[in-house]
Amino acid sequence: MACAADYGYTLTSTELKDAPFTDAKTLATLPEQTKVEIILRQGAWWQVKKEQTGWVRLLSLRVGEGKAAVGDSGLKSLVNVGLGRGADTGLTIATGVRGLSDADLKNAHPNPRELQKLRNMAVPPAEAQKFASNAKLNAQQINYLPEPAATPAAGSGNPAMFGGGR
Amino acid sequence: MRRVIIVLLPLGVPIQAQAFQLDIGKVKDLVTHAGQLRDVSEKEEVEIGSGISSNLLGAAPLVPDANVQKYVNLIGSWVAQQSERSNLEWHFGVLDTNDVNAFATPGGYVFITKGLLLKMQTEAELAGVLGHEIGHVLKKHHLKAIEKNAQVGLFADALSIAAQSGKNTAAFTKVVGIGTELYARGLDKEDEFEADRIGVVLAARAGYDPYGLPLVLQTLANLNPQDSSLALMFKTHPAPTARLEALGKEMTVLDRYAAQPELATRFVKTLDSKQEIKK
Repeated sequence: MACAADYGYTLTSTELKDAPFTDAKTLATLPEQTKVEIILRQGAWWQVKKEQTGWVRLLSLRVGEGKAAVGDSGLKSLVNVGLGRGADTGLTIATGVRGLSDADLKNAHPNPRELQKLRNMAVPPAEAQKFASNAKLNAQQINYLPEPAATPAAGSGNPAMFGGGR
Repeated sequence: MRRVIIVLLPLGVPIQAQAFQLDIGKVKDLVTHAGQLRDVSEKEEVEIGSGISSNLLGAAPLVPDANVQKYVNLIGSWVAQQSERSNLEWHFGVLDTNDVNAFATPGGYVFITKGLLLKMQTEAELAGVLGHEIGHVLKKHHLKAIEKNAQVGLFADALSIAAQSGKNTAAFTKVVGIGTELYARGLDKEDEFEADRIGVVLAARAGYDPYGLPLVLQTLANLNPQDSSLALMFKTHPAPTARLEALGKEMTVLDRYAAQPELATRFVKTLDSKQEIKK
């Protein structure tokens, strides 16, 4: 159920394991871009088939083909533009998607009415807690992940930005 | 490098003062003895964020569906409560555009587009994406980028205006404009990777399967990058495959939480009952 796709492609060279554990026996090493059939997901692993059945880590695949059909592409959706909006938006199909291109952002004007609507939608924290507990979501104490060692030092800044002050 | 500011500032001031009626006394007050801009207060951060949010909403309004908006607010609020800034007033909104994207503005405003929401399959995926955006707010990524891109005098002036909640002035509008344009250019890619690492942890803390965000990235990795609805997101973020690889190295410690709920049923039920937003 968790997996709507039928196929995936390995992002890098990936070990095919005989069980969903890091220390399980390695059945084969799949080269980058190997197409595998996805059978099911279990925790952090996909069960996959490539000549033989085995397990690869969830993040080792780009999930392919089957999943691409799930959502419409923006181009396909163009024909439906306007149907979901109220008539008072003044949008027509001819103007296309009122989207978020670079130009749209640069030319955007404030919309205080929508901002007020957004503020009015805020939910009290207690209501969110109840919604979570209804679904048996239990809060956990977990540390943030460490910064990878290879990351270049942060905050290098852009000195040129301050050059225009004169 | 910042020490240069204190030297440049007196030279820069006359031009700025003319254009924006800069109060030089206020600017001096905002620049500490070390030549650093003083920390932005939470109130100022929220004012700047609300100004940028108003602009984003000018580019794409909210989906006119109270139930979907409420659902996203309930999930977002719960995830934000797992963070160190749980006391911020958080706001979540679904933008009415088929573009596939999500945004956060300073001070606790988070937006996800209808286009991205409809590509998801579970509540855990939504929680992970909201967690990523919450991560940008926690780390003040956009605020720092605005500060870096606005001239110091201008930024200081806008801050003093934000502190007084007077928003209809040239300096404030200019800084908010710079802030809005930032969303067309994107953040540093390291900021995005950091937000990914925060997003998966916040989702796990909230009791969700932490692999929701990576599963969304896997979906995005499989879309046609030439698709118009992806143009802005692909331009402003590292490639989904690069993000998956970066997370893959770090995420194994969260494997023990991978059996936490995905809540596909609640997610699908909420969206399916709203056929109108699926257009």
